[in-house]
Amino acid sequence: MDDALKTEEQRVAPETGDAGPETRGPEGDGDRVVVARELTRRYGSGDAAVDALRGASVDLLRGQFTAVMGPSGSGKSTLMHILAGLDEATSGEVWIDGVKITGMSDRELTQLRREKVGFIFQQFNLLPMLTGEENVTLPLEIAGRKPDQAWMARLIDAVGLADRKSHRPAEMSGGQQQRVAVARALISRPAVVFADEPTGNLDSKTSDEVLALLRQSADEFGQTIVMVTHDPHAATIADRILFLQDGVIVLDRGKMGRDEIYDIVKSLESDGRASGGGGGAR
Amino acid sequence: MIRIALRSLWSRKLRTALTLLAIVLGVAMISGTYVLTDQINNGFDEIFKKSYQGTDVEITRKSVFSGGNFYGPGGTLPESLLTQVKATPGVGEAEGVVGGSGAVIIDGKPVTTGGAPTLVYSTAAERFSQSEYISGAPPAQSGQVSINHKLADDENLKVGDHIGLTTARGVEDVVISGVFNFGDSASLGGATIVQTTLADAQAWYDLEGQLSSIMAAAGSGVTPDELAARLEKTLPAYTSVKTGQQTAEEASQAISDALGSVLTPALLAFGGVAILVGAFIIFNAFSITVAQRLREFAMLRSLGASRRQVLLTVLGEALLMGVFASVLGLLAGLGVARGINALFKAVGADIPTAGAALAPRTIVVALAVGIGVAVLAAMAPALRATRVPPVAALQEGAVLPPSFVARFGSYFAAAIAVLAVLALTRGLFASDPTNLRLLFLGLGVIGIFVAVAMVSKYVVRPVAGAIGWPLERVARVSGRLARENSARNPARTAATAAALMIGLAVVVFVAVFAQGLKASFVDAVDRSVNAEFVISGQNGGTMPAAALDAARGVFTVEDAAGVYASQAEVDKNGLASAGGVNPASFGPLWFFDWLRGGSDELLSRLAGNNALIEEQFALKYKLKPGDSFTAVGSTGEKATFKVLGEYRDPVLITGFVIPLTTFQRLFPTTQQDPLYILVSSDGNEAQVKGQIETALKPFPTAEVRTKAEFNDMMKKQVNQILMLLYALLAVSVIISIFGIVNTLVLSVYERTREIGMLRAIGTTRRQMRRIVRYESVITAIIGGVLGTVLGVIFAYVVTTRLAAQGITFSVPWLQLVAFLIVAVVVGVLAAVLPARRAANLNILEAIHYE
Repeated sequence: MDDALKTEEQRVAPETGDAGPETRGPEGDGDRVVVARELTRRYGSGDAAVDALRGASVDLLRGQFTAVMGPSGSGKSTLMHILAGLDEATSGEVWIDGVKITGMSDRELTQLRREKVGFIFQQFNLLPMLTGEENVTLPLEIAGRKPDQAWMARLIDAVGLADRKSHRPAEMSGGQQQRVAVARALISRPAVVFADEPTGNLDSKTSDEVLALLRQSADEFGQTIVMVTHDPHAATIADRILFLQDGVIVLDRGKMGRDEIYDIVKSLESDGRASGGGGGAR
Repeated sequence: MIRIALRSLWSRKLRTALTLLAIVLGVAMISGTYVLTDQINNGFDEIFKKSYQGTDVEITRKSVFSGGNFYGPGGTLPESLLTQVKATPGVGEAEGVVGGSGAVIIDGKPVTTGGAPTLVYSTAAERFSQSEYISGAPPAQSGQVSINHKLADDENLKVGDHIGLTTARGVEDVVISGVFNFGDSASLGGATIVQTTLADAQAWYDLEGQLSSIMAAAGSGVTPDELAARLEKTLPAYTSVKTGQQTAEEASQAISDALGSVLTPALLAFGGVAILVGAFIIFNAFSITVAQRLREFAMLRSLGASRRQVLLTVLGEALLMGVFASVLGLLAGLGVARGINALFKAVGADIPTAGAALAPRTIVVALAVGIGVAVLAAMAPALRATRVPPVAALQEGAVLPPSFVARFGSYFAAAIAVLAVLALTRGLFASDPTNLRLLFLGLGVIGIFVAVAMVSKYVVRPVAGAIGWPLERVARVSGRLARENSARNPARTAATAAALMIGLAVVVFVAVFAQGLKASFVDAVDRSVNAEFVISGQNGGTMPAAALDAARGVFTVEDAAGVYASQAEVDKNGLASAGGVNPASFGPLWFFDWLRGGSDELLSRLAGNNALIEEQFALKYKLKPGDSFTAVGSTGEKATFKVLGEYRDPVLITGFVIPLTTFQRLFPTTQQDPLYILVSSDGNEAQVKGQIETALKPFPTAEVRTKAEFNDMMKKQVNQILMLLYALLAVSVIISIFGIVNTLVLSVYERTREIGMLRAIGTTRRQMRRIVRYESVITAIIGGVLGTVLGVIFAYVVTTRLAAQGITFSVPWLQLVAFLIVAVVVGVLAAVLPARRAANLNILEAIHYE
C-alpha cells in the first residue's frame, strides 16, 4: 500500500467523522446540502454477503461540484444511490437539505425526488416520444407544477438547444441528448443533482461540452452536483474529488489535474487488485 | 401522463394496432349481437305494426298462452260473431278472416322459403289486409288466389298463372288473380303470402262456419280503446278483444322475449369467448411492453413520478386503447351483424331485419366491455410496473422484480382452480335457476382457463422439447433455436398459447358435445323407431292430416301411424310438449324405452285421460306412475291426466303422450296435423318408398325417408348447427392469431441484437424466418394441445351430466386431429409478418441496437 495514500486516508477520516468546523448537528446548517454518516451497505447474507460500503461519511456543500471516483467495485455507485435515496443503507444516515431521508417511505422519497433531487444518467434516458422541450419539463409535469418560463428559457439557452427544442431525441446527437438531460435535471431547481457517468456514452468532444455545461451550472446557478465517473479527465472540472476503495472514502481532495487524478486511480486500482479486491456491487 | 400514454402508443403503432384488433373483434361480436337482435326486433316490429295499421280492434279466441303462431292463436270463432260485432255501435267496418299455413307448389315441388313461413289467409278490405295491388285484383271467386310481390318476382309468376297450394286437405290447383305489395314492400319479412276467398280458406282448412279472427275499424269519433272496451262488454267471454296496436306490441314483445332468452345469450356467449381471448392478448402485450420499458419507468420514478403515476401511465394506455378499440368494435359490430345474418341465411333461416341501429344500450355495453377488459387485463402488468425501483434507471441489465402473482403463481392457480371447480359443480349440479347456473358455469370455465394458463408455463419446456424434437430433425439449428426461444420465457409463451387454448377448447367442446348429440339422435331413432319409413313435414313442420290415410292406402304398406304434437301448459308451471298417438296403430311401430317397470302392455291401457310421461317431464313436475297432472291447451281446454307409466326419449317424443282422441279434444283443430307418420312394410325398400311417394303426390310437403335416411337427416341438422357454431368460434381463433403475431413481433424486437449477431455469423434469412416460424408453431401447438385436452374434459363433464337427456360422451378423433392441424396452420400464418421482420433486419444496425 502506498504510504502517502495511507496518511491521506487517516487525515481525512476524522474530518468527515466530525460534524465539520461548526459544531452543529448533522441536519445541516444551510451550507451542507448532503450529509452522510457512517454508511454501510451489505448485499446478500451469510457467506455470499458483499459489503459495498463499510462506513462512509461525507458532507457536500451548497454549490459544490463533487466528483466521486474509484475502481469498479469500490462502492462509488452504491454511495451515490444511497445519497440519492435510490437505495437504502444497511446502517448509517443521510440528510438532504436538512431532511433526514433514511427510513423514508416510498411516498416521501417520491416527494423528495420531485423537490430536492435531479438525475443525469449515462444512457440519457429521454422519452423517445417527447420533444426535447417536453423532456425538459417532464419532472414538473410529473409533479403537477407549471414551468417557470424565464428559468426555462434561461436553461434552454444555457444548454444551447434553443433551435432543437422541438426535435425528438432520435433526431439529436448523443451530446445534445445529454444536454437536454442536464436541463431536465435542473428544471426543478433541485438541492442536488446526481450524475451517473454522464459522459460515459459520449465521445471526447461532446463530453467536454456536457462537462462545461455542468461546470456552468455550478458556477452560474450555484447548483450542487455529485458526479460519479471513472474518467479522470471528467473529474478535473470538479471542485472536490472523493476517492473510494473497498467501500470507504480513502481520499477527499480539492481540485486536481488530470495526471494527478490518473495516478491516484491507478494506484487505487493496483492496490485493490493486490489486496484481492473489495465488495463488487454495482 | 395521458399525453405520455398517447405518444407512447403512437410510437409503437404496429404493436398497438395488433393489440387493438384483439379487443376490436371481441367488442364487434358483442355489439354485432345487439345490433342484429335489435334489427330482428325492428324487423318484426315493422311487420306487426304494418299488419295492424288499419285494424283498430282484433277479436280472437282467448288463449291461455301464445303458441307462437304467427296468425294468432289456434282457436277459432263462430262466423255468427261477425254479425254481432258489426251490430255493435261504434264499429265502422268489420271483417272476418280465416288463416293457416301452407306451401306454394310449382311444378309439383314446394317453393322453398328458407325458413320464412308461407301464410294463407282469406282476403279482406285493404285497410285490414294492407295489400296494395300492383296487378290484377283480390281473389273474387273460388279457386282464385293473390300472391305477394316477392313470390311473384322470385318464381316469375303473373296474373293468370296456375300454382298449387297445400292446405289441410291436400293440394289445391289455383289461379293467380292478382299480385300485391304489403304496404310498400314486396314481402313481409321474407314470408310468402297467399290470399284466398273466405269460403275457400274455410273449406281448405276444415273451418266451415268459423273464423280465425275478426278485425274491426272504429267509426268516426270513436277511439280504438273505446271500441275495444265496448266490444269487450258485449262479446262472449271466450273472445279476446285487443286494439290493433296492442296486438302488434304483444306480438313483437313475444319475438323480443324469444330472442332475449335464446339467441342473444347464445351470441353473447361467443362474444364473451372472443373477449376472454382478447383479454389474454392484452395482458400479454402489456406484460411484454412493461418488461421492455423497465428503464423508462425507473427513469420516471427517479424524476419524481409516484407509483400511482406509473400505474396511471400504463392504465392510461390501456384506457386509450380500450376507448379506441371499443369505438371501432362498435362500428365493426354493424358488419358482424350482417355477417351473422348471412350465416343464418346460409343455414336456411331467413330472419326479417330492419334498420341498422346502434341502440344506446349497445353503445354503453360495447364501451364498458371494451374499456373494462382492456383496463382489467392491463392491471397486473401495470401493478408490476409500479414495482420497478427508480435505481433501475442507473443499472445495466436491470430486470423486473417478479410479480406477486408470479412468486405465488402455483398457489394462486390452485386457489383459482378450486374455486372454479366449485363454481362448475354448483353450475352443473345445484338446483339454482338456470341463469344463476349459467353464471356459475361461465365463471367456472373462465376460472379453469385462467388457472391452466397460469400453470401452463410449467409444461412449456417439456412440450416445446417434444414438439421441437421432430423440428430439429428437419432443420437442425433453426429447430433447436426455435425450441429454446419458446422455452426462454415460459410465462410469455404460456400466456400467448392460452389465447389459442381458449378458442380451441370451446371449439373442441362443441365438437365433442355435438358428436354426443349426433350419437344420441341416431341412437334415439334406432332405438325407438320400429318402422321402415318415416314421413315428416318440410322444415320440421306438420303435414296435412289426409297424408296419413294416403300412406296407409298404399297396398304394400302394412300399417301407418301418425305422431301429433302440440304444447300445453302443465300444472300452471310452464309449457311442455304434448304428443298424441293412436295406441293401437302406433304401438307396434315404436319401441318405448320403459322406466319404472313399464312395458308395452301400458299402451293397451292408454285411453281417456291416461298419459305416459317422459323422464325429464317426470323430473320437472315431480311425477311418478299413479300421480296426476293438469294440462291446458292454448284455447283453454283443460284436462287432468293420470300417469300410467314413464319412458325415456329425450329427442323425438318429449313431454307427455296421450291418446289421440283426447289430444283432439284438448287442442284446436288447427293444431291437429301429424308431425311424423311412421310406416311399416315388408316390401322392397326402394319400391315401397316409390309407391308411398306416388301416393303422397297430393301432399308435396310430406317427405318420405327410410329409417336410415331419416337418421342421416337428423345428423345433417346437427352438422348444420355445428357449422354455424364453428363459424362463430372462428372469430376467437382469429383473435388468438393476432395474439401470437403480437408476441412474436415483440420478441423479435426484443432480440434485435441477438438476431443481428445470428445473421452476422452466417444465418441466412431463410433460416431466420424458419426460427421464428417454428417458435410460432410450437406456441400454437401448445395452445392447441391444451385447448383440446380442456375441451374434451369440459365435454366429458357436461355430457356425463346430461346423460339422462340421452347425450353420450364420444370423442371425434378425426376432428381433433383436424383441429391440431388448424393450430399448426395458425402458427404458420401468425409467423409470416414477424419472420419477415426478423429476416429483413439490417445486420449492422441490429448489432448496435439497444
